[in-house]
Amino acid sequence: MTQQAMKSGNILAAIAALTVLLFGGWSGAVIGWLLGAAAGLMACQGKKIPSPKTGIRLGSNAGLALGIWILIASLIQGLVLFPATGQSSLGVIQGLLFGGVGLVVATFAGWLMGALQGLGSKRQQATRAFLAVILITFPLIDQIARTNWTATVIQILIFALLALGLNIVVGYAGLLDLGYAAFFAIGAYTTGFLSSPQINLEWNFWLVIWIAAAVAALAGVILGAPTLRLRGDYLAIVTLGFGEIVPVVFRNLTQIQIYEPISRIFASLLGRPELAICLVGCDRPFNLTGGEAGINPIGRPTLPLIGTFQSGQYLPWYYLILLLVVFSVLMIGRLRDSRLGRAWSAIREDELAASAMGINLVQTKLLAFAMGATFSGFAGAFYGAYISAIFPSVFDFSVSVIVLCMVILGGLGNMTGVLLGCTIIMAADRLYLPQLAQVLKSILNTLVLPNVANPALRDFLATSIDPIQMRLFLFGLTLVVMMIVRPEGLVPNAERQAELRSPDEESLAEVRSQ
Amino acid sequence: MKRWQNAILYLVVIYLILLLGPVAGLDLPRIFGEIARSPASLVQQLLVGIVNGAIIAIIALGYTLVYGIIELINFAHGDLFMLGSFMSLTVVGAFGVGDGASPAASLLAVLSALLLSASLCAGLNVLTERYAYRPLRNASRLAPLISAIGVSFIFINLGLFWGGLRSFFPIMGANAASPKSFPDLLPRVDVLQALGIEANIAFTTKDLIVLVVAVVLMVGLHLFVQYTRLGKAMRATAQNREAAKIMGINVNQIIALTFLIGGALAGAAGLLVGLYNNTVVFTMGFTVGLRAFTAAVLGGIGNIIGAMLGGVLIGVLSALSDQYLSSRWTNAWVFAILVVILVFRPGGLLGENVQEKV
Amino acid sequence: MPLLEVRRLTKKFGGLVAVKQVDFTIEKGMIASLIGPNGAGKTTFFNMLTGIYPPSSGRVLLENREITSFPPHQLTSLGITRTFQNIRLFNNLSVLENVLVGRHSRLRTGLLGTLLRLPAVQQEEYQAQKQALHLLDFVGLGRRKAQELAKNLPYGDQRRLEIARALASDPKLLLLDEPTAGMNPNETAQLTRFIQRLRNELQLTILLIEHDMQVVMGISDTVSVMEYGSKIAEGTPTAVQADPRVIEAYLGKESL
Ligand SMILES: Nc1ncnc2c1ncn2[C@@H]1O[C@H](COP(=O)(O)OP(=O)(O)O)[C@@H](O)[C@H]1O
Ligand SMILES: [Mg+2]
Repeated sequence: MTQQAMKSGNILAAIAALTVLLFGGWSGAVIGWLLGAAAGLMACQGKKIPSPKTGIRLGSNAGLALGIWILIASLIQGLVLFPATGQSSLGVIQGLLFGGVGLVVATFAGWLMGALQGLGSKRQQATRAFLAVILITFPLIDQIARTNWTATVIQILIFALLALGLNIVVGYAGLLDLGYAAFFAIGAYTTGFLSSPQINLEWNFWLVIWIAAAVAALAGVILGAPTLRLRGDYLAIVTLGFGEIVPVVFRNLTQIQIYEPISRIFASLLGRPELAICLVGCDRPFNLTGGEAGINPIGRPTLPLIGTFQSGQYLPWYYLILLLVVFSVLMIGRLRDSRLGRAWSAIREDELAASAMGINLVQTKLLAFAMGATFSGFAGAFYGAYISAIFPSVFDFSVSVIVLCMVILGGLGNMTGVLLGCTIIMAADRLYLPQLAQVLKSILNTLVLPNVANPALRDFLATSIDPIQMRLFLFGLTLVVMMIVRPEGLVPNAERQAELRSPDEESLAEVRSQ
Repeated sequence: MKRWQNAILYLVVIYLILLLGPVAGLDLPRIFGEIARSPASLVQQLLVGIVNGAIIAIIALGYTLVYGIIELINFAHGDLFMLGSFMSLTVVGAFGVGDGASPAASLLAVLSALLLSASLCAGLNVLTERYAYRPLRNASRLAPLISAIGVSFIFINLGLFWGGLRSFFPIMGANAASPKSFPDLLPRVDVLQALGIEANIAFTTKDLIVLVVAVVLMVGLHLFVQYTRLGKAMRATAQNREAAKIMGINVNQIIALTFLIGGALAGAAGLLVGLYNNTVVFTMGFTVGLRAFTAAVLGGIGNIIGAMLGGVLIGVLSALSDQYLSSRWTNAWVFAILVVILVFRPGGLLGENVQEKV
Repeated sequence: MPLLEVRRLTKKFGGLVAVKQVDFTIEKGMIASLIGPNGAGKTTFFNMLTGIYPPSSGRVLLENREITSFPPHQLTSLGITRTFQNIRLFNNLSVLENVLVGRHSRLRTGLLGTLLRLPAVQQEEYQAQKQALHLLDFVGLGRRKAQELAKNLPYGDQRRLEIARALASDPKLLLLDEPTAGMNPNETAQLTRFIQRLRNELQLTILLIEHDMQVVMGISDTVSVMEYGSKIAEGTPTAVQADPRVIEAYLGKESL
């Protein structure tokens, strides 16, 4: 266990150091605050902490270790990397300042988290409260430190909703769904139809988001129904098929003209086309989805005091999506621990035995599809309003696959793991890689390119050495390596077993007291 | 009572299809009108579909062989085929043969491309199996699938990178991501005209050559699997790996051989697609691969004849849909038909529907 | 009125007739055994009674009610449950969860109740857990193992857990498919007494497939013998034991 904690500590330190190296400035303080708390928690994980004192010792040590790495990275960044990218050196004082603050913050965060771990029976509640504080204050801290990460975090949280929903289908019920983006699209387009000038419905977002979730759930049932008899990989291919069909449908519903078919057939047999009864789009074909250009603009949520959410102002959006994710985690947790959640697990483990034990396979599987779709319906509605426009190309196969990777990489069937997997993949993809690209490009321009004489080679270097271009490669490599190193995911269900191992009488008493 | 219910249900479904179908191009009066006006174009589309389907079938074989032996959807297979087409393009470029080059030079370039592309893909596929799939043979079923998706991403990125090597291979053109034109090296003599048949149908030696090569490859594979020692070992391993091991079959070797064959077929298909469509692009691994995979499932995944049947079916369906429905809706139609077929035959067309023994 | 009545039940797998025109009845509170050589069609017979395979022809009646070809989960609600010849537990669920899944058909909690976490739902869950723990005691597994994963239990305990899981659905008719397979004589004797307790204490009706003649003869009220899909004999244990056709089926013609 200690070895495990050390290993996770090293990983956290590496992430923190990398962050500082790439982003510089006050990023050390922000990442120190976040990962310091994480390090403090991990240092105490799985241990009995008799008093806050013990926790403080463990936690602040972990935070300090992290802080030292931040300090070192800060100095390297300011003194070596900064000049290499063509900017003037920051100097030791500034490097020390940035790094030092990072160190103090990290130690404090670890200290605080450690202290909370020593609270005995209140341990879990205190940790959750601290986590809540971190999440609630994050955009403020981000603003003060000028790291500008909130927009990315909003993206992460959107995908977190998707991953949580898919986890119900794949992780709990064991139904491999390769077309999950379809429900995301259905949620988003429902929002688009109901709150945009497209078909002149501009309903209130707070109503539309529920409708979008409901429509997505219904779509889950409708698309789930044909798959009920299929097993394993056949199920996968059919869901993949739906994932391909849905964007095609949205892409092409631009010129709808519907005639009553019987009258149409008679009309064409008689050779008098004017006899066909027209139902929809008679004067001019009806454009439902806007085709490739999509639907734009989509109505945004409004709240008293705050007014309408604006596109450049991230705070209200952040809190909204955070609320949605927390709400989903809560609801999914309840589902998982219920009669229905058990039925899902039973189906995943052994479909035939499950049905012999009284589980209605049709109903239970459809509920899994519906519930999974519901949360991506929420995500879709939020996404539509947030971007204020939707295009069919956003919902293609790659989204389904990336969300699936988040779920499996994090740890199938485990919400902590899924959220972790989502954060890692999204942060790497949307935050670290672009920044790395920028830094490398600057280094290339300052140090390398001026010294290359051969024009072909220079052309090659300038166009081909770009981490953004290597994004898929890196992602793919990560997937392969992760699967080989940890096929069960980052947080395997061993964690769940530990959760389970609370003495039964105690858990019963807990149930009774509620 | 039940009969009536069913009959009414079917009528409602048919009515709905007639009502909504036209939105997606299924406009029967128009379609019948078009066919009546020019029956030749129906035959033409069938021919196009069959040739395209034959190529799809070759790729589908790679999916089905691998699935048959280790029950893995090898997501990377389509992208492997894409790399094959890039290899072919590179080789053809190196020979410096362009549109309308002399037959001898073209033949030499094409044969070299076939050799190198097939070797590259076979080698890559074997390496992939060795390092990305074999370590996961005893893990959960999802682990190798994710690993395969990872390999697929790696291949796609390699394709993108390769396409950007204009400094070294001018044939790649200026832009890494854009489609690259593949020289038109196959002769285009109108076969029907040469046979003295008067019809308004274009069927040239180009179509014929692609079709013949595809058929030869498929028949060869079928004979190999059915009648050779190694082929029998492959089938034995697919049936029951443990038993095969006990009977003295080197299972690892046989699995590697399967990947080798599947890879070589993908390489050959890469060349054929380049020669036939005269354009290659790094995303076609996904688009064509998906069709091929669908074909394999449609035929009953794991079943070699099924993959061929599925491939031709998908090819013909797509061609007909492109012509008579709407090319923008073709993908949706292909998958809709797949779904319908699987709903009625959950094991695919030729797959067995085994009831689980309890 | 018999609890279960089977009329001319038949199952064909392609050309193979696994169960051939079998008639069978069982009265309330009886313990009946089904014996016969391997491949005789006993498990297939069970599979048809529990809805896992639809019969090719014939009828099944539960308390005079037609239940032929009902889906498995509905039959469980109606009071028929079973264990499997080759244990089929939910391996990665805890022992307690396995039993709770068995209780599924008797719980009413729906989606909305779960999401809102209504008091009634919590009460039901609490009762279910309490009953499940009692069942674990009753089958002799004990509640200390309640949180272990099912796959980590020793073989004998897995068999017990399967019975506990089946009992959780409050069945009227319990079908046990070779419950003592793989057990040592000591465990077998224990299980035999346990099956008798099930009848005496829970008033269950039990139909079991069994190879161990000592078990069969010890506890059965009636014994039915199957061979090649047909029922070839039926009666009290002693009568069946003396039946020449049965001896022939088991020992071959020469031994007569
Ligand atoms: N799902 C199935 N498909 C094909 N044959 C089956 C299936 N289930 C059982 N059988 C066959 O039916 C016969 C009876 O099997 P079973 O009922 O398991 O026998 P028993 O339980 O008496 O040993 C056997 O020959 C077996 O192979
Ligand atoms: Mg049996």
